[in-house]
Amino acid sequence: MNVKDVNTKKKPVVVIDKSLDFFNDKVLFPKKLEKANEMLKKAGLPETKKT
Amino acid sequence: MFKKSDICNNPGYMNIEKYELKSGEQLELFEFVSVGPKGRIIKLVQYSPTNYKDLFNLGFGDKNIETGEIDDSAISNNGDSEKVLATVVATLYAFTDKHRDALVYVTGSTKSRTRLYRMGVTKYFDEAINDFEIFGEINNKWEEFRKDVEYEGFIVKRKLN
Repeated sequence: MNVKDVNTKKKPVVVIDKSLDFFNDKVLFPKKLEKANEMLKKAGLPETKKT
Repeated sequence: MFKKSDICNNPGYMNIEKYELKSGEQLELFEFVSVGPKGRIIKLVQYSPTNYKDLFNLGFGDKNIETGEIDDSAISNNGDSEKVLATVVATLYAFTDKHRDALVYVTGSTKSRTRLYRMGVTKYFDEAINDFEIFGEINNKWEEFRKDVEYEGFIVKRKLN
C-alpha cells in the first residue's frame, strides 16, 4: 500500500503514540465541553436507530 | 481553519488527501501536523466524555508549539483547510471504529465556525450518510440532518453495518 492508497482510504491509518495517552484524563477544550453540556441539557439526545 | 471556498467544490472525502494521524491507545486524542505557507501547525482533535453516557464532545484546535497552549478559535490560513477537514473526518472514523456505540457532539466555538462545520457536513453528506446517522440541533430540538438548515450543533453516530 503506497501513500496515495493510505490517503484515499475511508478509514485512516493511525500511528499509535503512547505519549498522547498522558492527556486521556485531561480536557483540552474545557469551554467547548461546557458549551456542549449546556446545549445537551436543553436539547437532550436524538433518537438513534438500534441497528 | 476552513474557508467557504474550500468546501464549495466536492471531490469526495475518499479522494481528498489527509494528514497522517497520531493517537494514544484509547483513540480519544489525535494529533496531526498541518503544513503550509504559515509553516507547521500542530492540530489536536479530542473526543471528551460529556455528562451523558456514550456521548462525546469533539474538540478541535491548534497547539502553540512555544507555549503549549491550545486554541480552538485560531484561524490558521495555512492553505490546507480541505485537507484538514478531511483529516478531522478521518479521526471520526478512527474514533467510532473503537467506540462503536459512541455518539459525537460537534459544534463550533462561534456561530460562524458552526456554519462552516455545517457546510463541511453538507459537503460529505452523501458519503457520510452511508456510515453515520447525522442529526442537527435547531431550537433545542434534534432532527435528521438536512442540507441548508442553520443548525446550532450536530450529533453523529456510526451505523452498525
